[in-house]
Amino acid sequence: MDEQRGDEQPEEWVEAASLAQLRKRRRLGVTVAGRAIALFLVGDDVYALDDVCVHKQRSLSKGTVLNGRVICPGHQWLIDPATGRVEDRDECQPSHAVRIAGDAVYVDPRPRVLSEEH
Amino acid sequence: MTTRTSSGGTGGSSPLTELESVVVAGAGQTAAVAARTLRRRGFEGRVTLVGAEPHVPYQRPPLSKEYLAGEDDRDELYLLTPDWCEGNGVELRLGAAATAIRPAERALELADGSSLRADALLIATGGRPRRLPGIDGDRVRYLRTIDDADRLRAELRPGARVVVIGAGFIGCEVASTAIGLGAQVTLVEQAARPLGHVLGDLMGDVMAALLRTSGVDLRTGEKVEGYAETASGAVVTTSGGAYLEADVVVVGAGMVPNVEAVTGAGIETAGGIPVDEYCRTSVDGVYAAGDVALQWRPELGRRVRAEHFDNANAQGMAAAKNILGGTSAHTAPPWFWSDQFGRNLQHAGHCDGADRVVVRGRVEDFDFVAFHLSGGVLRGAFAVDRGGDLAVARQLIGAGAVPDPDVLRDEDADLTELFDTL
Repeated sequence: MDEQRGDEQPEEWVEAASLAQLRKRRRLGVTVAGRAIALFLVGDDVYALDDVCVHKQRSLSKGTVLNGRVICPGHQWLIDPATGRVEDRDECQPSHAVRIAGDAVYVDPRPRVLSEEH
Repeated sequence: MTTRTSSGGTGGSSPLTELESVVVAGAGQTAAVAARTLRRRGFEGRVTLVGAEPHVPYQRPPLSKEYLAGEDDRDELYLLTPDWCEGNGVELRLGAAATAIRPAERALELADGSSLRADALLIATGGRPRRLPGIDGDRVRYLRTIDDADRLRAELRPGARVVVIGAGFIGCEVASTAIGLGAQVTLVEQAARPLGHVLGDLMGDVMAALLRTSGVDLRTGEKVEGYAETASGAVVTTSGGAYLEADVVVVGAGMVPNVEAVTGAGIETAGGIPVDEYCRTSVDGVYAAGDVALQWRPELGRRVRAEHFDNANAQGMAAAKNILGGTSAHTAPPWFWSDQFGRNLQHAGHCDGADRVVVRGRVEDFDFVAFHLSGGVLRGAFAVDRGGDLAVARQLIGAGAVPDPDVLRDEDADLTELFDTL
């Protein structure tokens, strides 16, 4: 698998939320650099996906996390929060790099889209 | 035949030496999923899908929603492209209905007079719309195929007078799409409530409210008594005394399973093709799945035929695995969705027969999930714009949970905590 964006590009971190906010429901919709992003707390790890589902534009932050996977509220697509890969489908949800510093969650607003498997 | 590698990460390990060919009667959702599963599991023998329609396998759910509304193109509906089929060695025999099977030879006879022999047969012939006697004419439409949808799509114009007969899911979705396109919609249902037989009285009332507040003239408890066509349109008369003039009349009266291919083959066909939870019919080497299959449901103690996308997927997948020698039971609770009037409806398990309904959210705002319990056990859930909660409910139903009603009701409580009490 390849990423569309090379890792050599400079990192771009925007403060998106606090861990305390995210802990309340373990999912949170935020807007980062004008882009709707859904944050998920899975165990102790934070992941960020585009909030708007690639399928039918439902809001992933209104979904749920079960067994380590994000479930879209629209049609129950199962999405890997780390890669954006959709179970049993070729589509891929754009994901974002996340960095934690203290209580702050930083997100890189540039989306990563994994290419299809060959 | 070329060697294939597993692309789904679920490669089979059995040598599959004895199985050389699989023929699927049908080329819809179930057949497409079965074909994909066979290849993903490493089956390298012949796979043939026999479709009555001239089209490559396509999704049906959008036909009453996005596709009917003109938002989706045909290309977005296709499940298996000709390129995929060629690359994976899946043969499509399209425009030739399966007419009969010869169980002793595991052969399938086609309408064009040819026949196909296989080591395993999967019957996934789906169904056809139930016709209503006496309602027949140039302005009557049924909706099952992409061609049906194309024809209806051209007729749902702004200001068009549309009468929909039957407030099941297809009827309600067509009503929603027609309203969205600016048509005037009257929906006639002989039962007291829309979708009442699936959702129960309480939720049937919620659906009635959603339809009415969305601009549908909903007439429940009324039977269609007459149908006639004039020079300028059609007239539907009802037992409630209504005289409804229409440009187009859409009938959504359920479907009839296409069981004809197995008639006379030693398989029961009343109400569908009976299968166990492994999608096996009573004849060795013959499987059935999807809309046509009447599957044994251990948790209900009876057979159920389901007409939904998820059922088609799950049974198609289970049948394929079992054809390859697996023991994959389809026991997950049924699940389906419907998108109507800008709302996302989802249903899991079985809501009929509940002795208690616990609501989380606000019914009056169409933002809730209604948990249906029976003897304390969560049996079903119905949600409007609450797909996240419904996902949790689906798992709880599958686990046979006896949840604390206070947690179900309390918006501040995390539903996933209920997994800890299982």
